[in-house]
Amino acid sequence: MTKSKMNPSLKFLLTLLISLELSFKVSLVSNIIVIVLALGYLLYRRIKPKALGGMLLATGLAAITVFSSGYIFSDHRDLWYALDISSRVFVYTFTTACLTISTTAEEMARSLEQNLHLPSKFAYGTLAALNIIPRMQAAVKQIRVAGMMRGVYLSFWSPVLYFKAILVALNSADNLAQGMESHGYKEGAPRSVIVEVPLTNKDWLLFIFAILLLNLGAFLLP
Amino acid sequence: MQAELTIDHLTFSYGDREVIRDLSLTLPAGTFSLLIGPTGCGKSTLLKIMAGLYPKYGGQLTSGQIDLGGRSQAMMFQEGGEQFTMATPREEIIFAMENLGKDKEEFAHQLQKASEFAEINSLLDQKIVTMSGGEKQRVALAVLVAMDVDLFLLDEPFASVDPAARRFLISRLAKLKEQGKTIIITDHLFDDYQGKVDGVYRFKGEQVDLLTKDEQALLLDTEPIDLHFPLPENEPAAFVMKNFAIKQGRPLIEQKELSIPKGKVTLITGPNGSGKSSLFKAMTKLLDYQGSLTWESKEVAKLKERAYFQHVAQIFQNASDQFMAITVKEELALSKKHASPYFTPEVLDQALADLDLADHMDQVVYSLSGGQKKKLQILLMLLSGQEVLLIDEPLSGLDQKSIEQVVSLLKKCQEKSGQTILLISHQFYGINTWCDYHLRLAGRELAFVQD
Repeated sequence: MTKSKMNPSLKFLLTLLISLELSFKVSLVSNIIVIVLALGYLLYRRIKPKALGGMLLATGLAAITVFSSGYIFSDHRDLWYALDISSRVFVYTFTTACLTISTTAEEMARSLEQNLHLPSKFAYGTLAALNIIPRMQAAVKQIRVAGMMRGVYLSFWSPVLYFKAILVALNSADNLAQGMESHGYKEGAPRSVIVEVPLTNKDWLLFIFAILLLNLGAFLLP
Repeated sequence: MQAELTIDHLTFSYGDREVIRDLSLTLPAGTFSLLIGPTGCGKSTLLKIMAGLYPKYGGQLTSGQIDLGGRSQAMMFQEGGEQFTMATPREEIIFAMENLGKDKEEFAHQLQKASEFAEINSLLDQKIVTMSGGEKQRVALAVLVAMDVDLFLLDEPFASVDPAARRFLISRLAKLKEQGKTIIITDHLFDDYQGKVDGVYRFKGEQVDLLTKDEQALLLDTEPIDLHFPLPENEPAAFVMKNFAIKQGRPLIEQKELSIPKGKVTLITGPNGSGKSSLFKAMTKLLDYQGSLTWESKEVAKLKERAYFQHVAQIFQNASDQFMAITVKEELALSKKHASPYFTPEVLDQALADLDLADHMDQVVYSLSGGQKKKLQILLMLLSGQEVLLIDEPLSGLDQKSIEQVVSLLKKCQEKSGQTILLISHQFYGINTWCDYHLRLAGRELAFVQD
């Protein structure tokens, strides 16, 4: 994790590798170093206090659950191990947050397509799906109000609410697919590149350096 | 000279229902054609077949074919927001140009040309979700211009576009025709087309006819509708605003004082994006407001949702949102539970017959055509019998006959039960004589006006 803009795909791989490696290797100190670095990066990126607070709260709750099952309710109490596994929860969320705070969905989609050569339908399909989310939230709110106006109260576990929400989603998905196609998109057809996502030697050096440090930490530190 | 566009013995159906039967038609190249017909007649279907979207996304092509004469085509849709993959106009144009395999230079050139043509320079990096209906359609047009297609297909693109934006877009389309493009558009309103379109095609009974020059001239000769309203004086108030303000990203309404008359029909107009729909959202507790907004002297923000919505209801733009059951019959049964006393069984049967819904009682509501859904939705909400009805663009997408049916039902019901109705509408046909007052939203302020 560096201050400069790293290539989105490499950033994604790095996040994945850090989380994966620290899931297998018990090294509380490495976990803490990664968490501190990630937190520093988030602050440098001026994360909104509200977002940080919400993240800490949700992750904290999850971490406490993991800790209690690993220590308090465990037959072989091992404080070090329990702390290690509960700190992993922070590693996962903080590194992922570092990825999302510095990369827009468009950049990520382009990079997956150009650098990792993923099929474009995957990249742009995901993007289109992300665009539906705010519309879905508004739709659910409106469906509930519309129901009350007809004397029908739809609670949050009402099947009718979900049936209607799914209808809205299917309809939007269909419209989006037709919209994409009308703007010239063809599944599997070659596309040109207008906005390039560079993958430089500097990106690779940073990536390798970070992986080396991670391995040194994970295997040498307790 | 470009090749003609030919439709050859085309038959298309949804399940058992044939919407186009053995249609043969030739459209000359480089013309601007208007396709008209009642809601649900198959206009959109025909455009979508031309766009190559159907039968891939729905329906069955049983026979015949369409030959576009080797033209490239692209389509503009009714639902403004759902035709974009990316978040901003610039991103969307990049996406489209990459799909077509264009390089950077071509892109830069086309981007400039298209954004100047549709006048979206200042919107290029704005999020599309924050735009008004008119702005979205300007962006949609810009994407098509950037793609430099030969055939522009537009499916009721002005449903949520205000008159000024509509005139602008139609004049731009006429300009495209001058540049040699072929344009086919569907619409329910015929304003602003005189002297711009070359031919009007009417859908009738699974077939399409070209109107004669005289018929066309007569149809397109629409008089601007004059509006004359009195100003309210000493009316009892339904809603009262004091230092009321709402914003969505930017400030929309800042109202010092206003009282909306009770038991009357008030028309609300204003440009796209001025905040009319947001005002309804504030009145239905979907949007927070500052200052005070009272209904019957009670602060709206403090009222309990479930109780409040027994008195105040909205007819939403999207009819499907308001359906809670499966078939037309079940929907009616649900609304009859607390039906307004005006709707005796005889009155209801008559209303169903008047709206041409009586034969659809066992149909699944979601399979009705757009116009039928709208008519059913309005009937259901009138049945519910709330004292206040907020109606957002009830006539968009309805043909002339349906507009007359709907307005006559609304009128009768309002006269008998004395409801307070607030009505947002861009089109005045049929409602200019019905509304009691006219409230105009301009410069973040609502004011009663006489014209």
